[in-house]
Amino acid sequence: MSTLFGLIFFVGAIGLCVIGIAGIVLSRNLFRMVLALAIAEAGANLMLVLAGYRWDAVAPILAGTPATQPMVDPVPQAMVLTAIVIGVGVQALALSLVIRVKQRYATLDMREARQRMQDDLDREAGITPSRSQEQPAGERPLPPPSHVAVEAAGGGHD
Amino acid sequence: MRNLATLLFLGGLAFLLIVITGSLDFGNPPMRIGEAIQQDAPAQVGAANIVTAVVLGYRGLDTLGELSILFAAATAGGLVLGSLPARRRPDAGFVLRAGSDLMFPLLMVAGLYIVIHGHLSPGGGFQGGVILAAAFFLPLLARPQSTPGHGWLTVIEGLSGAAFIAIGLAALYGGQAFLTPLLDKGTLGELVSGGTLPLLYLAVGLKVGAELSGLLMRLAEDEEATS
Amino acid sequence: MTDITLTVVLPLLGAFLLPLTRDNALAWLGRLFGPLLLAVSAWILFMHWSTFSAPQVVILGGFAPPLGIVFYIDRLALLFALAVPLMTLLLWPGDAEKDALRRQSLTLLLAASLTGLALSGDLFNIYVFYELAAVASYGLVAGSGSAAGYLAAFRYLLVSALGSVIGLLGIGLIYFETGTLNLAHLATLSDELASPQGLAAFAMLVIGFGVKAELFPVNGWVPEVYAAANRRVAALLAGLASKLAVLVIVRVLLLVFPGEEARQLLLMLGILGVITGELAAWQARDLSRMLAWSSIGQLGIVFIAFSLPGEAGLIAGVAVAMHHLVVKTALFLLAERWGGSIDKLRGAAGVSALGAGLFVLFALSLLGLPPLPGFWSKFLVLGGLAEAATAMHYLAMTVVLTGTVLEGAYLLRVITTLYASPDDTSAPQSQKGSSLLASALLGVALIAAAVLIEPLWQTLGDIAAQGVDTAGYTQAVLGTVSGSAGS
Repeated sequence: MSTLFGLIFFVGAIGLCVIGIAGIVLSRNLFRMVLALAIAEAGANLMLVLAGYRWDAVAPILAGTPATQPMVDPVPQAMVLTAIVIGVGVQALALSLVIRVKQRYATLDMREARQRMQDDLDREAGITPSRSQEQPAGERPLPPPSHVAVEAAGGGHD
Repeated sequence: MRNLATLLFLGGLAFLLIVITGSLDFGNPPMRIGEAIQQDAPAQVGAANIVTAVVLGYRGLDTLGELSILFAAATAGGLVLGSLPARRRPDAGFVLRAGSDLMFPLLMVAGLYIVIHGHLSPGGGFQGGVILAAAFFLPLLARPQSTPGHGWLTVIEGLSGAAFIAIGLAALYGGQAFLTPLLDKGTLGELVSGGTLPLLYLAVGLKVGAELSGLLMRLAEDEEATS
Repeated sequence: MTDITLTVVLPLLGAFLLPLTRDNALAWLGRLFGPLLLAVSAWILFMHWSTFSAPQVVILGGFAPPLGIVFYIDRLALLFALAVPLMTLLLWPGDAEKDALRRQSLTLLLAASLTGLALSGDLFNIYVFYELAAVASYGLVAGSGSAAGYLAAFRYLLVSALGSVIGLLGIGLIYFETGTLNLAHLATLSDELASPQGLAAFAMLVIGFGVKAELFPVNGWVPEVYAAANRRVAALLAGLASKLAVLVIVRVLLLVFPGEEARQLLLMLGILGVITGELAAWQARDLSRMLAWSSIGQLGIVFIAFSLPGEAGLIAGVAVAMHHLVVKTALFLLAERWGGSIDKLRGAAGVSALGAGLFVLFALSLLGLPPLPGFWSKFLVLGGLAEAATAMHYLAMTVVLTGTVLEGAYLLRVITTLYASPDDTSAPQSQKGSSLLASALLGVALIAAAVLIEPLWQTLGDIAAQGVDTAGYTQAVLGTVSGSAGS
């Protein structure tokens, strides 16, 4: 029974982490990536808290008299406190960066923004950008290629 | 196609991780240091909340690092978002203004309570500091035109961070190691107990409160982003 | 007064107090404060280095290990810790740009956290200092003010935070298995961690700390960040921060996971890093990105070196790492004005002869031309690989040699462009005085290392002997606890 509970908790924690990682890797929107990061961090914190749990134990707070019951491990709780605060700081900074990227590149789409960043870097370095900036030469619609015209003229065999 | 490959990879990763953790013994941790900390903490540190004893005593340097990370994030946020625009939104309606005037003292009391009692009950500097930040942020939402100066917040932030380090350095100059708990431990469970721990948490609470409210104000006031 | 904790705490104190000196009576103090604190740190570390006799343990807070946090000070830690304030002073952001105080705060935080990484002996403490270094570097990269800088910082943040999540999972896994976080205590329990779970935890830690160490596969952020950020920031990150991240991984490897599989993992990741880095550097058309990819390649060689067993691996690794620290920092300093398109640098030697000369010196050392130190470091790596003599090590040898050939190709291309006669399209800028001075100092250091190779070899031997002495480490840290608490 205890292994079943344990498995449920572990699946929860790892599931959150993997959903977060999936969100970061698969998202195209910058803001969704930040949200996915928050979910992944929540999963990692949950995993840490699970490391200290003991069956039939109480919270590690003494009510004046020395403890008689076993208490859960206080060290993972201290670790998670630190990890949560770190996560908050990183997410706040990520949001500030997203705001600035939206202002300067006018898009929240990762691929577009990345292309514009590459173009900016290339332009600043003074090299020709790695993707073609120009339209193909010629007017629209393109006239049919010459060999087709010859066949049509010399055709009539069909 | 790329999405499918990524999903398969992540599915495999999740399966691998679950198999690895499945063999772990949930609910029976080795407790190699946890047990010793629970035995020694009341005598060595004197705080009724053993998690606080770990956070500020046994792992005090981690807490200092955590404070610095929050400070770094706030400073970087200030660097990125830059100076504040002059134009602000008009004041909000009566309900929001009256509500925020009522909530402000209540939130301050709640936040300070949690900060000061951090060594006795669940809570502490970080938790109380976030409530204090919310307490300062609420009037900003109600009255965007008249915000308290950022100057005070920066001063509180810097001085409380320096106070934390100064308390740690005081131990160093007393001949002991950095961040050794000083002052009399008092009786377990009293408000004045745990030596320098309540002071450290007070510094942490003020710093976090000032920092987060500054950061929130900057994020909210960035006029172009909100339009 | 010379307690080594001050080297971590004083820069933190400076960072907290610097924003208070803005635009008021203390502004003059604010300008000097940062460099002063870093000089004090450097002096304390130098005192410890010169009076070093045996590894020391500093018990923080008076709580004996494994309950509390310890700083472990041996020659390896002191070497890397000494590099931090010296390099930060060399690359100190000036007052000229706006928001200079914030930049200086972030630089002080970076210095404090990197020193902490070198000295710390506790796994979670290392994680916290690593995160501090990461957040400070996000801020420094984003502080360049350009739009590209913001997006590059964001992508760096995402990769790094993702790595940290995985690293935190690894730490959780280790805590589940062993119940302790102290590195010395974990070293005594390394048999328990020799299981598949332990190896998975090591892999997760490597991904977590490997982001800053530009390890394959989490190094996608490198070229954009080094091209978009201020070149001095790029020098700090590429030169200094990456080495400290490597040190952290190596400590964990030596102490907690001394098995063969862990080394194989690092060897493989190093090989992949060299291949991707050198090939991409060959393709690069502007100097900044070329140096960035080259940095990835060199760090791959560092990992290959550290994956060699025993003292030989440690000697080779430290040699390559220190050499790269000096050379890459100097190259990025030179790239401050010359960081654009390589073709536009035609005739730059005419504009700044000293700059071009220094570039040639560093490029030749990077390639491995005797008698420069780069030759010796590469020679140590190749020698160690030949001695190990398994298929994987021979592959690594081939890869390193091919990498050297590619390095030669792209570095010589730049050198010939520098010394070519200028034409209409090129407009090389002159070098900035301070950058030129800084890279000249590094050049002098490099030549001094080439001349003093014998004493350097002795010191490296001492460092390596202490570094692999796991039993000595455990004895020093845990042996100080009389009637051990909770092992």
